[in-house]
Amino acid sequence: MTDVTLTINGEERSASVPPETSLLRLLRDEFYLTGSKLGCDVGDCGACTVIVDGLPVNACLMLAGQVDGRDVVTIEGLATLEDLHPIQKAFEEFASLQCGFCGPGVIIAAKGLLDRNPDPTKEEIKDALSGNLCRCTGYTKMIEAVQDAARILRGEKEAA
Amino acid sequence: MTDDVKVADKTDSLTDLKETDEDLRLPSVVEPAHFPVETIDTEARHQTPAVGQRATRPDGRLHGLGQTKYIDDITFPNMLFAKMKRAGISSALIKSIDTSEAEAMPGVAAVLTGREIPVNSYGPSYQDQPVLADERVFHAGDPVAAVAAVTEQIAEEACERIKVEYEPLEPVYDPVEAMKDEIRVHPPHSNIYATKRIKKGDLEKGFAEADHIFEGVYSTQMIEHVPLEPHASIAQWDPNGRVTLWSSLGRITLGRADIARTLDMPINKIRIVGTIVGGNFGGKNEITTEPALALLSRKTGRPVKMVYTREEEFIASTTRHPFIMEYKTGVTKDGMITARKVRLVLDGGAYCSWSETTLGKACILSAGPYNIENLLAEAYCMYTNKTMAGAMRGFGAPQVCFAYESQMDEIAHKLGIDPLELRMKNAFHEGSASPTGQVLQSVVVKDSLEKAAERFGWKEDGQ
Repeated sequence: MTDVTLTINGEERSASVPPETSLLRLLRDEFYLTGSKLGCDVGDCGACTVIVDGLPVNACLMLAGQVDGRDVVTIEGLATLEDLHPIQKAFEEFASLQCGFCGPGVIIAAKGLLDRNPDPTKEEIKDALSGNLCRCTGYTKMIEAVQDAARILRGEKEAA
Repeated sequence: MTDDVKVADKTDSLTDLKETDEDLRLPSVVEPAHFPVETIDTEARHQTPAVGQRATRPDGRLHGLGQTKYIDDITFPNMLFAKMKRAGISSALIKSIDTSEAEAMPGVAAVLTGREIPVNSYGPSYQDQPVLADERVFHAGDPVAAVAAVTEQIAEEACERIKVEYEPLEPVYDPVEAMKDEIRVHPPHSNIYATKRIKKGDLEKGFAEADHIFEGVYSTQMIEHVPLEPHASIAQWDPNGRVTLWSSLGRITLGRADIARTLDMPINKIRIVGTIVGGNFGGKNEITTEPALALLSRKTGRPVKMVYTREEEFIASTTRHPFIMEYKTGVTKDGMITARKVRLVLDGGAYCSWSETTLGKACILSAGPYNIENLLAEAYCMYTNKTMAGAMRGFGAPQVCFAYESQMDEIAHKLGIDPLELRMKNAFHEGSASPTGQVLQSVVVKDSLEKAAERFGWKEDGQ
């Protein structure tokens, strides 16, 4: 068994898991943080994207043991029902989610981008979301939502 | 552009539309009916102003918060995880299945084979698909046994320890080859399991009137839906002999009947909870693992979950039918279509699934949205030893559209007519009759084409 202690959404958590456990399985099965989704389990779809030490990663490709002592932010750490993160608000406003399964991963990937680059070009947004697959909505509305959230986060636009 | 579609005033707000929506809902207590019942008919050809309105999806917020619960996000105490052993051979007789080593593994709660399933066949139109293959394998993705264990890994390892002895049979993969019936996928039945024929006018006369005859064969490939959420279900057998299934299934009522049939149980003992689905696109319109999970739950007395891997999505769930489409079209020198003969061969894979529906729709739409007086459309759906094809967005409509529009372009090119003009000459108009004789209303295909051409600058592009 591998002992892991890490910070998840600002809170210190510990678990003892088999060594082959991925970060995704750790989050979902040990801590019941099911917002990060298992879509392919091989790093193709991005539905499991979380932020580790400030960078978005595919949680299915990272072992639980690798995150020992590190800082992880999942979709659950972004906001509450009444107090949404500007990216989530923009995704709701722009109807960027249909079935919603890819949503948490896309939103986290977008957060990872805007945290590092508050004024990205459309191409930079596309590049940042290139590891996230969506089969219903398409990407246009997501890109528009990220642009809008960026404007709000930069203080150029009032939150709706 | 003489179409008289009335667009309601934009002053109708989204709130008004929502009220209309509310009015349409059934009341919780039905009001006593008074006869004669008066109904309010919406004015014909009256468009609501929904287009252009800004609406948010009611479910968007929880999706964005990551709080929406899909099947794999639901857990029950003491739940088991199931895996299925896939045949890996596309056509074979099953000589024996030895599950003893798997059953002896620590952590394995139960193993299930096809012989334990009361009625081992299902399907939305023909019941030709086994829940777990028991006597014969029809395609490589067929499951031959299911295991329920305390973890997914143990279940998977147990599957590897199940020994199946096969007697390989000659497979058939090509749908045109399959038409000969030299190798039968489901003997003694013919490989041609569904046909449709539409005849209109006098084909020979139509071709005689033509100045040019165009012939072409078009084909499309097999496509998987790839929903982001793989197929998933949880089964829980209760103490009173009822079973509850949480499933990503789209058509729960149909599925319930199919499950009742396979389990040989009255339908009222089966409850299906249809959860939020992470993408369907037609691929989740029939049951898959549900009966096996129900029986594993009965065997173990514990809830059992199974989620397809991405690989299983490709090899064991339905796909879009590959089509082989032969088109022969007669055209006058000024571009009027006088006759069209269509022959469609659909590769249905190992099981029928929604093939009949696909075949019917594809055949009806195969002539395209054009006025063609003399028409013959024939369509055949074939069994092959491949992953089954079923429903997928449009039920065959995109495949035939690819064929007839490709041929329209070829005709335009050869006759030196503008491709748009060729379509405008032949396109349906108000009151046109479809190949099956349906008189069409609200036909705006010409307007749509003209507007589209105008918007993206068809003429300016020098086309």
